[in-house]
Amino acid sequence: MTYFLQLVISGIVVGSIYALSALGFVLVYKSSRVLNIAHGQIIAGGAFIVYALTVFAGLPIYISFVASMVITFFLAMSVERIFLRRLIGEPIISVIMVTIGLMSILNGVIYLTPFGSLNYSFPEFLPTTPISLGGVSISWTQMVGVVITALLIGAFSWFFKRSTIGISMRAVSDDQFAAMSVGISVPRVFGLAWAMAGLSAAAAGTIIGNITGLNFETLGAFGITVFPVVILGGLDSIIGAVVAGIIMGLIQQFAAGYLDGNWGLNGTADVLPYIILLVILLFKPHGLFGTHEIERV
Amino acid sequence: MKRNMYYLAIVMAVAAGLAFSAPVGAGETYQLGLSLAITGPTSDAGNPYSKGVEDYMRFANDTKILGDAKIDCPIRDDMYKTAVTKRNFEDFLDQGMIFFLSYATGANQALAPDFTEVQIPVVPASMDSSLMKASPYIFLPIASYSHQYVGVAEYVAANHKGEGAAKVAAFIHPSAFGRAPLADFKAAVAAGLNLELVEVVEHGKDLDNSALLQRLASKGVQYVLCHTVQSPVATLLNDAQRLGMTAKTFGEPGKITFMGAHYTGGNDLIALAGTAAEGFHWTTSYRVTSEKGPWTDWQLDMAKKYGRDDKTANSHNYASGMMAAQIAVEAIRRTREAGKKVTKETLYETLNQMNGDKAFTSLAAVGPVTYSVTDRMGVDNVQLYVVKDGVFRAVGEPFKPKYMK
Repeated sequence: MTYFLQLVISGIVVGSIYALSALGFVLVYKSSRVLNIAHGQIIAGGAFIVYALTVFAGLPIYISFVASMVITFFLAMSVERIFLRRLIGEPIISVIMVTIGLMSILNGVIYLTPFGSLNYSFPEFLPTTPISLGGVSISWTQMVGVVITALLIGAFSWFFKRSTIGISMRAVSDDQFAAMSVGISVPRVFGLAWAMAGLSAAAAGTIIGNITGLNFETLGAFGITVFPVVILGGLDSIIGAVVAGIIMGLIQQFAAGYLDGNWGLNGTADVLPYIILLVILLFKPHGLFGTHEIERV
Repeated sequence: MKRNMYYLAIVMAVAAGLAFSAPVGAGETYQLGLSLAITGPTSDAGNPYSKGVEDYMRFANDTKILGDAKIDCPIRDDMYKTAVTKRNFEDFLDQGMIFFLSYATGANQALAPDFTEVQIPVVPASMDSSLMKASPYIFLPIASYSHQYVGVAEYVAANHKGEGAAKVAAFIHPSAFGRAPLADFKAAVAAGLNLELVEVVEHGKDLDNSALLQRLASKGVQYVLCHTVQSPVATLLNDAQRLGMTAKTFGEPGKITFMGAHYTGGNDLIALAGTAAEGFHWTTSYRVTSEKGPWTDWQLDMAKKYGRDDKTANSHNYASGMMAAQIAVEAIRRTREAGKKVTKETLYETLNQMNGDKAFTSLAAVGPVTYSVTDRMGVDNVQLYVVKDGVFRAVGEPFKPKYMK
C-alpha cells in the first residue's frame, strides 16, 4: 500500500510540474490560437535568469525567482511585440513557423552564454530532509513545486474567470472581430497572453531546474515533453492542463512501478502516455476539456 | 659577370645547405580538424573537450613542440548531428586534413567506412569499443566504455559482502552510447563475473524516479551501474537520497550503491546532485583535479594561461580534449623525428608503432597510451573514484579489468 501511495504522490508531483509547464502553451493558445513551439526555450531562459541573479548578482533566490518572472513577463511580451504582432490575421501555419524560427534564435542566444552547454545547479535553499508520512516521502523541492503550481494555476483561473482583462482575453479567443467591435485591443491581449506565459515558464523552469539541475538540453526539451499534456487537456483549457498533467504523471509512475521491468517490458513509462493520449483523442478530438468548435460550411 | 656568378654560387650553396640541414617539415603547417558538439545534446562534455584540444594545440605551437612547423586545427560545432559531422569531415579533407579528431559514437559509426576509405587516423571522444571494429583507423584514447563499466562491475563482485551474487541493475542512456558496454558486461557475467543482472533500465526524462527505485529495491537490487550522462544520474541520486535508499558505505545491506562509468561522473555530477552524490563510485582513465599531481597542476596552469574558467579547468572533459590533442601532436612529432614526411599514411604507421618502449605516456591518464595493428585502445587502465566530502577521491590503484580482453 505504501508503494502504491508513493506512486500516487510522485505522480501528482510530476503531474503538477507538467501542468505548470503546459500552462504557458495554454495561455498563449487560449488568447491567440497560436502554438508557441519556443516555449521550452523560455522555460530554460527563466531558470537561467534565476541562477544568474542568485549566483552572479548575489540576490536571495526568492527575490531572484520573483525577478525572473517579472523579466520573462516583459521579455515574452517583447517577443510577441517584435515577432508576432505583425502576423495577426495571417495563416496559422505562418505563425507556427515563426515560433519555430524563434526557437532557433533563442537556442542560439542561449548557446552564446555559458548556460548553453554547461551544467549548473541552484544553491541549496530548501531543507534536504524529505517530508515523510507513513512511509511516503516527498522532497521540499517537489512540495514547493506543487504549491507554486497550485497558486499560479489558481491565480490564472481566477484571472480568466473574474477579471475584466481576463474576460477580454477569453472574448478575443472566441472571436477576434467581435472582440474588436466592442473595443477590446486584440494586440494588447496577445501581448499580455505571451507575457503571462513567460511568467509561468520562469516558474516552471526554476522548479524543474531545481530537480534536474540546470542543463539547457533537459530544460529546453521540456516544451516538447509536456506537449501530450497540452493536447490531452485541450489546448485552451487551464483546468485541462492540470487534469491532463496529473493523469500523465500518474500513468508514468504506475507504468514505471508496475509494468517496467516485468514481462520483458521496459520504457513503458515513456510510451504509455502517448498511447493513452491517442486513445482519448479518438473519442475526444479536442482533448478532455478543449473547446469543441463547430464550423459551418 | 664573374662576380655575379660568384655571388649566385654562394647563394645557391647556402640555400642547398639549409635545405639539407633543416629537419623534415620545418616551417610546414599540419592540417588537423575537430568536429564535435559544442552546442546541442552532450555539449556539456563537448564544450570543455573542445577547449582542451584548442589549448593544447596553442601550447604546442607556442612552445614549438614541432620546431618551426605549426599545427592548424580548426574546431567546428556539429551540434551532435551526424550529417553535420560528415560535412565538417569532408570540408576538413578538402583543406588537406591529415588527422581527424572526432566525437560522438553515432557519428563515428556512420563515418567509419569513410575513415577507412580515406585512410585517415581518427581519435574520437567516444570510447565505444565497437568503433575499433568499425574501422582500423579509429584509435580510442583510453579504456573503452566496456572496460570502464566492467571495471566498476568487477569492483562490486570483488567487494560485495552479502551471500550469493550481488544483484545489480544497469541504468543506461537510451542510445547507442548508453547501450555500448552492455554486451561486454553480459559476456563478463556469462564468463563467471559473480553478479546477477536483475534489470536493464533505459531512462527517459524523468522528474521523479521513486517508482523505479522502489521497484529495484523490491527486487533486491543493491548496486545500480550507470552508463549515461550526469543529469539523469543526478536526478536518480537525489530521489534515492529523498527515499533514504542511498548506501552510506559501499554495499550497505538494504540500500543501493550507485556507480557509473566515464560520462556519468566528474565535477558536474557533484554540482548537479550536491550531497546526494556522496558515495557515488565512478571509473575513468583520466586523472581528476581533486587528486593533486603533476598532471593536474599542469592542467590547471594551462587553463589559467589560456583564460579558462574554474569549471572548465577542473573538468575531466578538458583533460580528455587535451589528451586527444597530445596523441595527435605526439604522432606528428615522432613521424618527423623518424625523418618521414608527415602524411595520413605515416601518421597511421606511427600510431600503430606506439607500444612497448615506444608507448606514449600522457600524464593526463592513469596509464600509457599503447597502440598496435591489433590493439587500438590507448590507455588500458581504469581508475575507480568515489565521491567523498564533495570531491572525487581515488580508490586503490589503477587496474585492468580482468574480464575484458
